[in-house]
Amino acid sequence: MSYALQAVIAEVTHRCPLHCVYCSNPLEMQRRSAELSTDDWTAVFRQAAEMGALHLHLTGGEPLARADLTKLVHAGRSVYLYVNLITSGVGLDEWRLDALIAAGLDHIQLSFQDVEESAANEFAGTRSHALKLRIAEMIRQRRVAFTLNMVVHRRNLSRLEEMIAFAERTGAQRLEIAHVQYYGWALRNRDALLPSREQVRGSMEIVDAARARLQGRLRIDFVLPDYYAKYPKPCMNGWGHQQMLIDPAGRALPCHSAGVIPGLEFASVREQSLRSIWEDSPAFNLFRDESWMPEPCRTCDRRTRDFGGCRCQAFLLAGDAATTDPVCILAPSHHLIADALEHVNGNDDSANQGWVYRTDVAGDKWLPRHR
Amino acid sequence: MSEIDRDRVLRLAPGCRLSAAEGQEDILLMPEGAMRMKGPARSILELCDGTRTLDAIVEELQRRYPTADTARIESETAALLGQLLDRGALEYG
Repeated sequence: MSYALQAVIAEVTHRCPLHCVYCSNPLEMQRRSAELSTDDWTAVFRQAAEMGALHLHLTGGEPLARADLTKLVHAGRSVYLYVNLITSGVGLDEWRLDALIAAGLDHIQLSFQDVEESAANEFAGTRSHALKLRIAEMIRQRRVAFTLNMVVHRRNLSRLEEMIAFAERTGAQRLEIAHVQYYGWALRNRDALLPSREQVRGSMEIVDAARARLQGRLRIDFVLPDYYAKYPKPCMNGWGHQQMLIDPAGRALPCHSAGVIPGLEFASVREQSLRSIWEDSPAFNLFRDESWMPEPCRTCDRRTRDFGGCRCQAFLLAGDAATTDPVCILAPSHHLIADALEHVNGNDDSANQGWVYRTDVAGDKWLPRHR
Repeated sequence: MSEIDRDRVLRLAPGCRLSAAEGQEDILLMPEGAMRMKGPARSILELCDGTRTLDAIVEELQRRYPTADTARIESETAALLGQLLDRGALEYG
């Protein structure tokens, strides 16, 4: 079976002015001096387009930390890719936003940590919320597709209705309510971030009502957090099936956290063509088909829908990337999820835990730290 | 599915466009994915240029496909546009 590359996720830098308590970037980050050049990225985008890819997602870290971001947008659009910018907004001003749109930017996804300023700044580890509000207004005034991404968890789900009302006011076409996923730094803060069963149930009711009320005005994307689902998410829509992530230094990965899996070696776009990495590299082929699957996946009807879930989560929680995602109720390691949920559902104090902030962020010191 | 407001002109929503790449001309690109616009669907979308209402689009299609059944053009066009409005790919201009 052959798989067609559909989207490239370009992690153009790991530098970031924010220090979110749930940062999804790897624990080991790439330094600025190791970053691919403008020409390197241009070559990557051209190769991806030649392979038939449609979407280019520019992400980071904070992509605006790259002074050549406008050139990167132009390079993607020049080879007919659909260019999406995933950003905190920090580093944007009117002039730069106009330049990005003129260069061919198709869509902006702007992230928010909360609607309440003090809480948002606490979760971001930076005083960034007020600035983000100004950025949202700047985007609203222009004809560019706008998705507002609101990161939710135990400490802010109680404000979900206010978040939806806020998204409405910003003029975004789409609201993505994104539950924190427990990779990277988020796993370290999991007990403080995991919502309670009651919160999850309430949030589903709120979203259903909002979707009915806002139909035709604001689309809401919201999925049940995987810890509370019966079956795992179809992570990346299958390992090496549709998407390729290139990290700041040019390593090509099947997903953003695949680096945690021991023994995997990731080829570099500096040394190999995208096509050879996609088709032939061991890392992209390791979990691509069903040959790695143990029971219960191997004989499960759902294996073609969820592909056994997330390989990184299987490794991070159960210590084995080639086992069923522990989220699955059929997984031999499902007790790990059940225990985590029992802990947060029986423990009201977890909301009062302190955060572990990342201190290794190689970001420029643009913004004052929170406290 | 949405009923189309016949008094208003239609256009692609921000962030939605037909691909310009060779061999991908029938792909409608959207923020969260893509859709293949088979057969006349691509022509219909091209006519959603912010100057035409549903009736004007149907009229133009009748001119282009004089042998096609008028009622069928109208119902299929309304169905496609209603579906794209619901997906957020189209808007009223």
